[in-house]
Amino acid sequence: MAFLEIKNLKVSYGKAAVLEGVSFSLEKGETLAVIGPNGSGKTTLFKAILGAVPYEGEIIKEKNLKIGFVPQKLDLERDLPVTVEEFLALRHHGEESEKWSGKHSTKETLKMVGLDPSFLAKRIGELSSGELQRILIAWAVAGHPDLLLFDEPTASVDVAGQETVYELLYKLQDEHALTLILISHDLTVVYKYAPKVLCLNRTQVCLGVPSQVLTPQELEKLYGGERKFYRHNHAH
Amino acid sequence: MDSNFLYTLLAGSAIAAAGGMIGSFALLRRMALVGDALSHIALPGIALGLLFHFNPFFGAFTFLAFGTLIIWTVEHKTKLPVETLVGVAFTLSLAVGALLVPETDMLEALFGDITKISSLDVGVAFLISAMIIALLLVFYKKFSLTMISSDLSLSVGFNPHMLELLFLTIFALGVATGIKFTGALLMGSVVIIPAATARNVAGSMKSYLWLSAIFGVLDAVLGILLAKIYGFPPGPVFVIVAGFFFLISIFLRRK
Repeated sequence: MAFLEIKNLKVSYGKAAVLEGVSFSLEKGETLAVIGPNGSGKTTLFKAILGAVPYEGEIIKEKNLKIGFVPQKLDLERDLPVTVEEFLALRHHGEESEKWSGKHSTKETLKMVGLDPSFLAKRIGELSSGELQRILIAWAVAGHPDLLLFDEPTASVDVAGQETVYELLYKLQDEHALTLILISHDLTVVYKYAPKVLCLNRTQVCLGVPSQVLTPQELEKLYGGERKFYRHNHAH
Repeated sequence: MDSNFLYTLLAGSAIAAAGGMIGSFALLRRMALVGDALSHIALPGIALGLLFHFNPFFGAFTFLAFGTLIIWTVEHKTKLPVETLVGVAFTLSLAVGALLVPETDMLEALFGDITKISSLDVGVAFLISAMIIALLLVFYKKFSLTMISSDLSLSVGFNPHMLELLFLTIFALGVATGIKFTGALLMGSVVIIPAATARNVAGSMKSYLWLSAIFGVLDAVLGILLAKIYGFPPGPVFVIVAGFFFLISIFLRRK
């Protein structure tokens, strides 16, 4: 049985379908990148997997599947008086599982995402976008998930920071047999980190190995006139 | 000290402590104005209580509960902007209240008067305030997380929509209890100002939560004392004291 299987998924808001005809399956430890223009249903797909929106079709998850979710950003005011330590404590920590040996203290969780323990005392509103993203990953990871849904920020995180975040995700995946689904806006990231890609534009446009399915024709179909994505095609 | 004055102090402090704590959660999600406007929805309920001689608290709470339910439904089931609806509902309630409230009771309904409070009212105010604080502490993690990010709340298996409804109900309960103190027009300030003051000086969520309640009590005690000394109604004096502390807290603001 597949770890996660999605069959003919359809999500509608009111009468309009925002996502239709999506089918794919994932095995344990796999990485899937999801690409598509703005409003193509990427985040809606995450919400359906999380069970946050009603859908038609089937989403079959392995029994007791624990899902971690890293949102694009938090809409925070800078003076919010919530420390990183308090923020991390706002969730119930995951039970021990075979993949995640031992319980992790907040300090260890921070170390896992490459941040110094001194961050615990900082307020979440004063973090840079790159630091906040790591905290959000730490937050998701503290629940010892089997499947991690990662919504990449559209902008705001510099390229150098972005690269190390993917290396971090890769490391976590390696160490804990984590299955990853990442929404990406950058095709170079997709080529580099994802063996499998799903292209969405309200419907499923393509699914497969990036170098095979991301042909200029498919990308044209997916993004229309947005030619900047075109050039990335040779970055492989 | 006469017993009536003691009652006033006790009830005012209890209401302000609960109000401050409600505010600390509400301000996590820019709910200040929605919360303020919401409290005005109580006015027609107070009017009905006065007209038909039942405790205005029940009228106020019924209207507030109904108002929060409408706002919650609009937010989740339709695409109407909540602020617009709150603006409409607020002015509409004031208008209906203005027509219904007997002229002799108008000032009290709008600005409150806690000096005429009975020992039974004090007991009720205490009980409800304690219940509100207990509920907020029990749901501390769930409310905080939902206010900060409903997506994250959902991802760990909480139900953010239901938590929002629960929070709004607690909010309505707090406002209905406090109406006697500050009236329908000023009740929003009990919720907003102490929490806004605490937020300026608090370094963590925990201190923010407690400071909101403490500032509420401080404002209430000083406001009621000053009102007694100068013969003013306590509600407006409370708001002015609270506003004064807020101004000071701006200069103490953490960078």
